[in-house]
Formats: sequence, structure tokens, C-alpha cells
Amino acid sequence: MSDELMTAAASAAEPAEGLRAVRALRALADRLEALHVERARRLGWSWQQVADALGVSRQAVHKKYGKRLG
Amino acid sequence: MFEKFAKDAREAVVRAQDEGRALGADRIGTEHVLLGMVRTPDTVAARALERLGLHHAEVLATVRTLPAHAIDADALAGVGIDLDAVRAQVEASFGPGALDTPPPTRGSTGHLPFEPASKKLLEIALREAVRCKHRRIDTGHLLLAVARLDDTTAYRVLSSLGVGPAAVRESVTAVWADVPVG
Repeated sequence: MSDELMTAAASAAEPAEGLRAVRALRALADRLEALHVERARRLGWSWQQVADALGVSRQAVHKKYGKRLG
Repeated sequence: MFEKFAKDAREAVVRAQDEGRALGADRIGTEHVLLGMVRTPDTVAARALERLGLHHAEVLATVRTLPAHAIDADALAGVGIDLDAVRAQVEASFGPGALDTPPPTRGSTGHLPFEPASKKLLEIALREAVRCKHRRIDTGHLLLAVARLDDTTAYRVLSSLGVGPAAVRESVTAVWADVPVG
């Protein structure tokens, strides 16, 4: 394969690689979030405190974890 | 179709929902149906796999390593994140395996939809029951359907545990010989 073709192939693969990385980052962030929210609740944090720390609304965080963590 | 399902098969399908949710899935894949079949040890499928040395725990451990359930370490390396380093830190703080347990599916009340492959699995199970001239579909037929569908995740899970289609068929038949089939 010529250098030119290789460069073309690499740039064609870029969005796929980039999106794959984003998906992996989300999965990683989701797991870290669940672990930390659970710990915060166990330590007596209010939903409002957790929400403020995450930069989201209290409703959003409660909807996501309320059923599971009470 | 569900009226033809024996109790153990109906329960397996219900439990597949729980299995999928516990693994953070947004759809019921064939691997979740497989886990649902062997969740309790008294089903035909659980007994058949038990004869082959497999239990829910081994199947679950294998399902956890699947790309759909594991975090994509290569993709993270591509953006400069060393997943092993992250895992080591998280485990130091939260205990072994903490990062490898996906958070349960959000809004965990609604039913998760079946993947097309899972629907196909149920259809093939029905066909297996007809072929065997059985009146009802039990988890044995579901397991036979897995053995037949070599492009499913459930099939690959069993294969990677060293259980091929011939062994599955033989084992299910042996279990049926022991218990009356509905």
C-alpha cells in the first residue's frame, strides 16, 4: 500500500475510532458515577448535594439512582 | 406463543429481563436468555449444563467479559487513558471488580425489548418442541435453540466455555430422559 493510500485509510477510520473512544469514555464515566453516587449516599449525602457535585439537577440524579439507592 | 411455554421457560424469559438489567443492558440479548435459563438450578437447561460442569456463575463470568459488557480498553488507550491504571485506583478505593460491574440499567422498571436474535431463539425453541413432538416449550428447547444458532452471543459464550452443540443436545436429551416432558 502506498503512503498516500495508508493516509487515506487512516483518516477514513478516524470518526469510527473517535466515536468508539467516546462510547468507552461514557461507559467508564457511568461506572465511576454509579460507584461514587452510591458511596456519597451511604455517607449521608443528600440528593441535592450529589446533584450539585455532578452539575445536574436533583431530579435527574434521583431519577437515575433513586430506585436503586433509596 | 407464550401459552406454549412451560413454567420453567416462562420464568427463564422473565429472569432474562433481570439478568439484562443487572448487566446494564438496554436490550435482552441471547446471553441474557441463557443466564435466565440457568438462574435456578432446577430447570432443564440448568441441569443439562450442570452435567457439562457449567453453572450460572461460570456463564455470568464469561458474559461479563464480552465486548458489549466490558469497557473498551483499546479505544481508551487511543485517547491516552490507561484503563488498567484506572481500574487499579478504583479497586483500591472500592474493592476488587468494582469497575467491572456495570451500573444497572436506568429506570429499571420498564421491560427491556428483545433483540431480534433473542426473538429468533424463542421461535427456534418452538420449532425444536414441534420437532421433538413435545406439547410445551421448556428451557431444554431453549438450550437446543442456542445450540442451533451459531451466530448468537449465547452460542459463543457456551463455545468459549468448551461446550459445543453436540454436547448440549446430548445433555438435554439425557435430562429429559430423567424428568417427564410437558
